[in-house]
Amino acid sequence: MKGTRSMVFWLLALILVLMLPVQGHAGPPGFDKKEIRIAQWGPQTGPAAPWGSVARGSDLIFRIVNEEGGIHGRTIKYFIRDDQYNPAQTKAVVKELVERRGIFAFVGGVGAPCGMAVKDYLAENKVVWVGPSTAINEYVFPVNPYLFAIYPLYEDEASILTKYAVEKLKAQKIGFFYQNDSYGKSGLEGCKQRLNTYNMSLVEEVSVEPSEKDLSSQMLRLKNSGAEVVFLWVNPTSATIALKTSATIGFKPQWISSDTLSDFPLMNTITGGLWEGVITGGFCLPPDSDHSTIVKYREAAKKYAPEERFGTFYLAGMLFAEPLIDALQRVGPNLSTDAFLDALNSTKDFQGIGPKITWSPDVHQGTDSIQILQCGPGGSSILLQDWVSNDLATWKPK
Amino acid sequence: MIEQLIIEGLAIGACYGLFGVAVAIIYKTSDVVNFGQGEMGMISTFVAYHILAQYGLPFWLAFVLTMVFAVLLGVFIEFFFLRPAKDPTVLGLIIITLGAEMLLMGLAGWKWGAEQKDFIFPLSVQKVHEPIPGLVLNEWSMGVFALTALIMVLLFLFFRYSNLGIAMRATQQNQNAAKIMGIKVERVFSFTWGLSSFIGAMAAMFFAARSVLDPNFMMEPFMRAFAAAVLGGLTSIPGVVMGGLILGLIENFFGYVWPVWKPIVAFVVIIIILTIRPSGLFAKHYVKKV
Repeated sequence: MKGTRSMVFWLLALILVLMLPVQGHAGPPGFDKKEIRIAQWGPQTGPAAPWGSVARGSDLIFRIVNEEGGIHGRTIKYFIRDDQYNPAQTKAVVKELVERRGIFAFVGGVGAPCGMAVKDYLAENKVVWVGPSTAINEYVFPVNPYLFAIYPLYEDEASILTKYAVEKLKAQKIGFFYQNDSYGKSGLEGCKQRLNTYNMSLVEEVSVEPSEKDLSSQMLRLKNSGAEVVFLWVNPTSATIALKTSATIGFKPQWISSDTLSDFPLMNTITGGLWEGVITGGFCLPPDSDHSTIVKYREAAKKYAPEERFGTFYLAGMLFAEPLIDALQRVGPNLSTDAFLDALNSTKDFQGIGPKITWSPDVHQGTDSIQILQCGPGGSSILLQDWVSNDLATWKPK
Repeated sequence: MIEQLIIEGLAIGACYGLFGVAVAIIYKTSDVVNFGQGEMGMISTFVAYHILAQYGLPFWLAFVLTMVFAVLLGVFIEFFFLRPAKDPTVLGLIIITLGAEMLLMGLAGWKWGAEQKDFIFPLSVQKVHEPIPGLVLNEWSMGVFALTALIMVLLFLFFRYSNLGIAMRATQQNQNAAKIMGIKVERVFSFTWGLSSFIGAMAAMFFAARSVLDPNFMMEPFMRAFAAAVLGGLTSIPGVVMGGLILGLIENFFGYVWPVWKPIVAFVVIIIILTIRPSGLFAKHYVKKV
């Protein structure tokens, strides 16, 4: 009995000792003379796994950089961790990376709840985070000195697309179908803001919970409103059900959606071809573009990741990593976190495969620009309007 | 407009009802709610998708092969997951079905990935007819009405006139008495799971045709079908279908007037009805005296 108690005591002591590092402390430095350690979390398994290609897209661009000789003699050592789109997992993998591996900067990072779970931790540990894979106001307002965002805010995107609908498509009756969360509501806000400038208002606004599978009443409501254009600010599954349901009731408006649904080959496949003709925003050049950088990435993907589908989310991983590499190159051989922050804060009109990006110490939202695309036959992309910014964006310095 | 709301509500309601029947069949025989029912349907639909996409077989052949798979899957789960449980309580068996659910979902994610897929179904939601102006009927809806009615009639005949159907009813009423009367209760359970999986797979294919195919696609329909079954009365097959139809109508009417409340209004109505009729609208209420 005494022996058992003693064993339990030592076991508890061992558990306490093992728990100590979890309390958090600065890990090893994120670079040395040979390498710079960059990391990203993302769902590689689980229901959100399709977005896992973002992290793998960044991997491709780092491989290209290393093949070309690295950055001022240092290679990029890149870590991907699977968090299964679970904020608790995100916290665990980020802590492990920062405190055990020593990470200089994070790039990308899918999932608003996942990012919010580690945003403050990264700042406290002075780890730079470039290009979160989603647009959230809390990331950039107020300015977080260690966080640099690229993804256009949903308000800005909706505002630009509404302008296009009214001025180019001459739409008089616009409806809005949105996910009942910050993503959907941000889009709705941007659309209303733009319509106010024309003294117009939405003929109908209908919300949906992300898990709902029957959307017939919502689509009937939009149909009966007489909407000629309907905005979709929802997830891919809800968008698919919305289009299929609309087809069943003979409702065929011009659909306009956020750039989260701009993976045309995927959307066209899962909607059974109904996605053709849908207009979306675009946060980076389409995968079938003949732009020289896209061609270069496409060729590299054939070499390094032949099994990977060269889609929009895969490209997004490269988009988020490009300005990080640019800043590292501008820092020069004397690398430090402060020097890197200075380089990022002086980024002006940098353009890779996305919009022009500008950061300053006061503004860490890098852009308000999108392209306007339309899904063509077979999931191809048709460019309707090149990079265009939101003249109503209130956050931009005048 | 009201006619269209009724049609759409009845169509999705019939689908809930059909899937609810799959849940009810197992419950009727063993008092177990199978929380893996949705994922059993999901796996069967993935098998159909795999046969169609990989081997290019005609749909009817893929359908037949899938139905065979669905029956075997049901029997397999009963035989290897539930039967080995020693002196099981109903709660213990329900937990086993939860484990089976997670296992099947993991299996689907591993084999087919999490990316959404389009399930090609011969009864398309895009092929519409307008019998009277303003009222649009699509082939999917007509198909689900016809299938639900057919399954109802067949199940009625099966439970009323076949020896196996009578054995299933006897097993549900008193397992020990059924054993004494020579009924092989274990075989009855296996058959029940096979039949339930068979019906569930058909309903899941209808859901997939209207939505997208991914490992999570049956989670929400299962919850609604289960709610519909409870509403109608889990021990009454016609009651379950009626529960589905009522749920579909409630959701569509309330969803039209108050879209924000659509996801919860049906459940509020169910809670109210169950406080008045605890066994559901169409099932007889039994009180066991001990």
